[in-house]
Amino acid sequence: MRTNAGGISAAIVALFLGLLVVTQIKAQDVYSRSLQLETPSSLTTLIANLAERNNGLRDEIFDLRLRTESARQDASNGTGSLTEAQRQLSQLEVFAARTAVKGQGVSVKVDGAFDDKALSDLVNELRNAGAEAVSINGVRVGPRSWFGIAGDRSALMVDAAPIKGPWTVSAVGAPEVMYVAMTRIGGIIGQFELIYRSTRFSVDRESALALPSLANPPRG
Amino acid sequence: MATFAARPPRRFSAPLVLMLPALLFGLLVSLQWRTQQERSELTVRYNAPLLDAAKSLQNEQDSLRAQLAKLRTDLDAIQRGAASQTSTSRDLQARIEELRSAAGLTERSGDGVLITLDDARSSSVSQPSTVDKSICHSTDLTDIVNTAWRGGAQAIAINDERIVGSSSVYCVGSTIMVNGTLMSPPFSVVVIGPQNDLLASYDDPNELRDIKQRRDVYGLGFRVARQSSLKVPEYRGALNVRYGTPQ
Repeated sequence: MRTNAGGISAAIVALFLGLLVVTQIKAQDVYSRSLQLETPSSLTTLIANLAERNNGLRDEIFDLRLRTESARQDASNGTGSLTEAQRQLSQLEVFAARTAVKGQGVSVKVDGAFDDKALSDLVNELRNAGAEAVSINGVRVGPRSWFGIAGDRSALMVDAAPIKGPWTVSAVGAPEVMYVAMTRIGGIIGQFELIYRSTRFSVDRESALALPSLANPPRG
Repeated sequence: MATFAARPPRRFSAPLVLMLPALLFGLLVSLQWRTQQERSELTVRYNAPLLDAAKSLQNEQDSLRAQLAKLRTDLDAIQRGAASQTSTSRDLQARIEELRSAAGLTERSGDGVLITLDDARSSSVSQPSTVDKSICHSTDLTDIVNTAWRGGAQAIAINDERIVGSSSVYCVGSTIMVNGTLMSPPFSVVVIGPQNDLLASYDDPNELRDIKQRRDVYGLGFRVARQSSLKVPEYRGALNVRYGTPQ
């Protein structure tokens, strides 16, 4: 009796172990499981995107190493590190949309029917291509900005500001990268042109854009 | 040794004999279930080198982010030490701290809402024509984030990736990237902010119409719940301010 009972419990334990091993393998590999379903062309796009991100991280690490070193020297000389603090401040002001910004970039003009979701997608796509600052018809988009449509549907809204078309979306950042991201075959502008057939879209590289700061920075 | 070997190991044979097939059976059941959900290994074969490249880039990104975080901490410590020296540098440091918090570079905790988004789990809706409507898309996530900002959110994270000014939700095929990190469903969107305003924003029938309809008709997993003591991590990516200069 004891032998039988022991055998059966051992078998049950083994059965569960078998199940657990496989479940564990599955659980550890969540995103790679979905990656396996991608086509080679999707994977190539994904890899290019990841590589671009990693290059950005490497650049910033290199930059921060130099800055840490010079801040350390300043501190040991007793001169303080006002230069580093000021550099950090201006970088953060751009990142948080708290200052007017100038620089190279692209502008996307949209003339005709368009909606808030498409505008949000366009900004998302520009950010993915490395946009550092974005404005729409001179209204700066902030880290917590939202897009909507005015009650009478006569305008799109960025935060509380109604903005009537035609719209010009300006983005400061690497002009060539953003230009290609917008205009590539199967890219967002190509998709828009299929959906909003009577709307005119144009993308231009810009050598000197000037964007205002965020109108009403959120508190808290 | 000799006496042990001479004795027939009867007491152990029964469980052992049962154990091996049971273990194999367990493995088989799970594997069978697994393969039914995926494509054949043949299509996967050509993707193997690309898959390896994607995975190693993601791993590299994790280590680069760790290096970046360490450097930021080091620089902060030096700055704080220097800031105590003059009132100008103290003011500067205070302004930097305020901006870091506003930009999402610091961890945040508080009350808010928790949103979960997942592919439909029921098999009854898995006909090819409706699959598209029963799974999560990157635009669902951007819509959910937009609704949260509209409702007065102070901080948002998608599967622990903080949403900041440079964040994007990127979709390639059926894989989603947030801040360059690969993700797949289920998604949990943690939103910190005024609970009643946030809930009102999500309850607004004009908001997230498509998602709500797909939840009701195709079983898309979408839930909004009031939650206290939520936490969102700080942004761990690069700031990437290279082209823009303050005017």
